[in-house]
Amino acid sequence: MTRVLRGLAVADFKDRVRRPAYVVTLAAAVALGFLAVPDSGSRWVIMQLGDHRGVYNSAYVGTATALACGLWVSLGGFYVVRDSIGRDRRTGVGQLLAATPMRTWAYLAGKFLSNLLVLASMVGVLAATALVTQLVRGEDMRVDFFALWQPFLLLAVPLVALPAAFALFFEALPLLRGGLGNVLWFCVWVVLAMGGQGPGLPLGGIGVNGVAKSMYEDLLAQKITVDGAFSLGLTYLDEPLQVFNWHGFTPDAGYVLARTAFLGIAVVVALLPALWFRRFDPAHGKRPAGPSQGEASAGPSQREAPAGPFPSGFVDEAPYGDEATRSAAGGRGSVLALLRTPPEQGRVLLRLWAGELRILLQGVSKWWWWGAGLWVFLGVCSPVPGATRLMLPVAWLWPVLIWSRLGTQRYEHGVDGILGAYPSTHRRVVAEWAAGVALTAVAGLGPLARLVVAGDAAGVACWAAGALFVPSLALALGTLSRTHRLFQAVYLPLWYTVANGLPVFDFMGAIRIEGQPAGLPPAVVLAVSAVLGAVVFLTGAVRRIGTGSMRRLGTRAN
Amino acid sequence: MSVLQLCGVSKVYKGGKRAVDEMTLHLGPGMLGLLGPNGAGKSSLMRIAATVTRPTSGRVVFQGEDVVAKPNVLRKALGYLPQDFGVYPHLTAREFLRYLAAAKGISCRSATARIDELLELVNLTEAVKRPLGAYSGGMLRRVGIAQVLVGDPQVIVVDEPTAGLDPEERVRFRNLLSDLGAEKVVLFSTHIVSDVESVASDIAVVAGGRLLRRGTPEALLGEVDGLVWEAVVDPAAVPEVRARYAVSRLVRTKDGVRVRLLAPCRPYEGAVRVLPDLEDAYLHVVNGAVGYGGSDRSTPGPAAVAGGVAR
Repeated sequence: MTRVLRGLAVADFKDRVRRPAYVVTLAAAVALGFLAVPDSGSRWVIMQLGDHRGVYNSAYVGTATALACGLWVSLGGFYVVRDSIGRDRRTGVGQLLAATPMRTWAYLAGKFLSNLLVLASMVGVLAATALVTQLVRGEDMRVDFFALWQPFLLLAVPLVALPAAFALFFEALPLLRGGLGNVLWFCVWVVLAMGGQGPGLPLGGIGVNGVAKSMYEDLLAQKITVDGAFSLGLTYLDEPLQVFNWHGFTPDAGYVLARTAFLGIAVVVALLPALWFRRFDPAHGKRPAGPSQGEASAGPSQREAPAGPFPSGFVDEAPYGDEATRSAAGGRGSVLALLRTPPEQGRVLLRLWAGELRILLQGVSKWWWWGAGLWVFLGVCSPVPGATRLMLPVAWLWPVLIWSRLGTQRYEHGVDGILGAYPSTHRRVVAEWAAGVALTAVAGLGPLARLVVAGDAAGVACWAAGALFVPSLALALGTLSRTHRLFQAVYLPLWYTVANGLPVFDFMGAIRIEGQPAGLPPAVVLAVSAVLGAVVFLTGAVRRIGTGSMRRLGTRAN
Repeated sequence: MSVLQLCGVSKVYKGGKRAVDEMTLHLGPGMLGLLGPNGAGKSSLMRIAATVTRPTSGRVVFQGEDVVAKPNVLRKALGYLPQDFGVYPHLTAREFLRYLAAAKGISCRSATARIDELLELVNLTEAVKRPLGAYSGGMLRRVGIAQVLVGDPQVIVVDEPTAGLDPEERVRFRNLLSDLGAEKVVLFSTHIVSDVESVASDIAVVAGGRLLRRGTPEALLGEVDGLVWEAVVDPAAVPEVRARYAVSRLVRTKDGVRVRLLAPCRPYEGAVRVLPDLEDAYLHVVNGAVGYGGSDRSTPGPAAVAGGVAR
């Protein structure tokens, strides 16, 4: 059994780390590793104890990097390890595995191990980064490897075990298999990262509290008065922090047990789906009228027999152009005689836009529309401050799963095989972007109406810039990654900063000071949108050079 | 007269894999069947011809224009059906085709009428209200062929179109391609010899990224005339037979194993010369490229022979 688990986990791990998403997330984590230990003159910090921070010795650098990056990897890493079961389902590997004697729990355990290996490998790279950071900062050149790397083992690894497990758990639940699971994980992560730092939590929360307590004890021992509390998260400083010498944290048996229990919880969460996961039996569960996203993206030759309510063989048994129609077409023998209307060239931009809008909104449930309608209604009814501060962020969170389709659908459904030989590449991109803008505008219609009625020109300008920015971001990230997940992983934290009242990233004009928008100026948001638009076209050009795809050459030719 | 020309086209992928090697093909009206084993470079060549993939070197010329530099010139006159393609599962066939017609730049009025005619042609009229996600593989092929014809193309490129279809649907599809070939330039790739045999008057055999042979079915058959033999051999001798000759068929009978093979002279005592078919000709061309038959082909293997049979 050990061999089976190892084989499954290693094969899956290799497949995963060869994907661009792994490299991108890892690069972001390494960058954050350096950010976690900023230069002594910096005005920002990731970890602080009131107005103090530790001298950059092995213990402090290791702990700060492990905590900051553990939190990041537990968020971004979830989106990297997501879809391992889905991929097996789509590629058909799942059915091959289902036909082996391997038990369901063993399959899940192998997948969990693989997820954990992927995220732990990131933690490993960050541990090496911490060593480099300590030497680069040069405040204390003595390297204590135990003090430097122990936090990665005790703090970061148990933390990243949770997304490794929840990614599997969500995939085993049909409702959370798609974008809803991605959004939910962001919420879970916010609760975990923010709420898990407090004292008196079961199992010591995410383990930060014990570390903070050790720092306080060292400060007291050095008779230093602290102004403020322990803080973990990007903070801007008015003055650089004062330093103290922290000797590190010596975990007791209880702490180690609590961290091990954290890992144990992750294992339980990962294996829990064994109770209901029916491997890859296509006959299990209710079949939709249309296939799931994965099935739909397979080519016809890979598809299963007729699905859903369509009567089997109803159409397949008929030849192309029945005999009666052939004779009616003039008895030319060729079925082409049935095609009497020559295609004439005409204006198509509006129809392309309508087509892209239809594709963007395909399969959206009526409940989504009811929700969108409710937000519009509440936006119209709210006073201006409520419409911008509350209703606009809510309205522009609602379509997040639909926006994330931009730039990805033709790849996810495999339609790029056909579209690659079609003209108008440029026009299609513009039409797709315009469909995204229309969706954004409709979703934010309520607050817009309120701003217009109130004659708030500045607010309308911010709203308009936001309405152009969100689809631009979605299209750029979708085109870059060809998956929904990158936009979801980027947009949700961005939106969260706005919803929490941080004006620095406010792209929609939600936050106001003295009645005026206090966020990013609309011109800046528009400029960023234009850059994102350029990214979309540039991505095509770069891919053309990289892969030699003539389809992207067409982008230039159009 | 050549409508589409692929001149010295090569495609080298990352890692140095040369999928297409200096291939030249001139295509005029009619159907050219591109035949080759898996991995021969057929799909790469089809994608190059369809402007989806840019060749590493060489030129693709359509009506005097180099479409590597200006792909839209060909795209406006092209119908392409890739080997595997997807659809938007929640759209109906009509909605999907309308979108593709708009992408082709076809006016609303003519697109509406033409799509109705296309749906009638491919016999999907009664299924138009269903989402594409509920279609079977055969029905999706029909949607695929409808999108090929939406712009009244001069050039049609279809890559392994019969893969995954049941025998009846394969026959219908081949017949449709035959109809199309009467008026248009059709490039049709497959690794199934019977597909090409039944519709193409012009065959190109490719292997290892190179064009090995091009000609009519009759010319290809002529090459292998007198080289095809049938014999019944001892089952234990089959591995040796396969090692020495290109074997096109192997059937176990109660007398032994009846083999059909290619050999320049009588391979075994009792072996009977038979009329070649296109599968034999294809094997001859493909195996001829790497060589087949043992070093002492003329030496019969009497121990292996159970008897000869005529077909």
